[in-house]
Amino acid sequence: MSIARILEIAFRTGRVTRKYPHEPPLLTPEFRGAVRVDPSKCWGCGACVKICPPNALSLRSDSGREVVLEYFVGRCIFCGMCAEVCPARAIEVTKEFELSSTSLESLKYGVAHRLVRCSSCGSLVWTEAELRAVIRSSPVAEEYVVLCPRCRKTRFARAASIRVGAGSE
Amino acid sequence: MSSVNLARALRAIKRSVWVYHLNSGSCNACDIEILDALTPYFDVERFGIKLVGSPRHADLILFTGPVTRESLPKVVRAIRAMPRPRLILVLGSCGVSGGIWWDTYSTIGGFKKLEEVLRENGVEVDRVVYVPGCPVRPEAIIYGILLLLGVVEQKVKKVEVVASES
Ligand code: SF4
Ligand code: SF4
Ligand code: SF4
Repeated sequence: MSIARILEIAFRTGRVTRKYPHEPPLLTPEFRGAVRVDPSKCWGCGACVKICPPNALSLRSDSGREVVLEYFVGRCIFCGMCAEVCPARAIEVTKEFELSSTSLESLKYGVAHRLVRCSSCGSLVWTEAELRAVIRSSPVAEEYVVLCPRCRKTRFARAASIRVGAGSE
Repeated sequence: MSSVNLARALRAIKRSVWVYHLNSGSCNACDIEILDALTPYFDVERFGIKLVGSPRHADLILFTGPVTRESLPKVVRAIRAMPRPRLILVLGSCGVSGGIWWDTYSTIGGFKKLEEVLRENGVEVDRVVYVPGCPVRPEAIIYGILLLLGVVEQKVKKVEVVASES
C-alpha cells in the first residue's frame, strides 16, 4: 500500500483513540463490573455464597455473635450469578471497574449481621435480618419463629403427641 | 541492594514506562486485553508505555495468570531478571488471588503465594498494584498503571458495614 493511500485512509477515519482517563470509558450496556451488596436489604442468608463459583463471597464468623458476608472483589469473576440468586434482591451488578489497589485488604467489603439466639436452647440460629424477612413474608406463629429448627421439631412433636394422647382417651 | 529510592525512580520513569508482559498460565483473555490497551484505540504510548521483549529491559511487569506449577520457576527467573526497582502490575482476578482457579491442584493461587516464593528466593519486589477484573478492561489496566505511578488516587478501600433495616 502506498503512503498516499495510507494517509487517505487515516484522514478519512480520523482519530479513534479514547482519551481515557480524560474521557469517559467505552462501557457497553452488557458490561458487568463489581457487584454491590445493599446492607439495608441483605439477609445474610448465604445463597450468594453458595452459588459464587470462585468463592469471592464468603460468610465468616469471628466472634460467634455475628456473621459477616464478605465480598472480595479480587477474586470475583463478574458473572452476576449472585445477583440472580439473591432472594432479597440485595445485590446489584454495577459498572465499576476502577478497582486497582495497592493492597489486597482494601479490595474487601463486608456486611455484618447480628445473630439471633433460639429462645429455648440458646443456640445461634439465624440473622436478625433473616428473622425479620420471615416474619414479614409468612404467617408463622410467634412462639415458633424464635426457635431453632431442632427445638421447633421437639415442641411440635410434643404438642402433637399431647393431642394424639388426648384423642385416644 | 534494598536501598532503592522508589519515589525518585518513579519520577524518572513516569513518562517512559517500559513494560514486559508475563503470562503465568492465564486463560488468555487478560492477555488479549493487554494487547487491546496497546492498540491505537487505547494507545498507551500516550503515557510513554512501551512493550519490550525481555524482563531485563522492563520497568514494569504486566503479570497475568494464577501461576501454574509448571510456570512457577520460569516466573521467578523472569522477575529476578528485572532490574530494581521491580514494579509489578498484577492483572485479573487470577493474578490477584487465583480467581476461578483459586483451589485447583495445578496452580499456586495467585500473586500472594508467588510473593512468598519470591521472598524465599531472595527476590525483592518494590511495588505491586492489584487490578481485579475477569478479564481486566483496557481502561482498568491504564488506571492501574496510573495508580502505580501515582497519577490517580485509589478509589477502593476496605469497608465493613453493619446490616440495617430498610
Ligand atoms: S440476602 Fe442476598 S446478598 Fe444477602 S446473603 Fe442472601 S443471597 Fe447474599
Ligand atoms: S459476580 Fe459471580 S464471582 Fe462475583 S461475587 Fe457474584 S457470583 Fe461471585
Ligand atoms: S482473570 Fe479471568 S480473564 Fe483473566 S486470565 Fe484469569 S480467568 Fe482469564
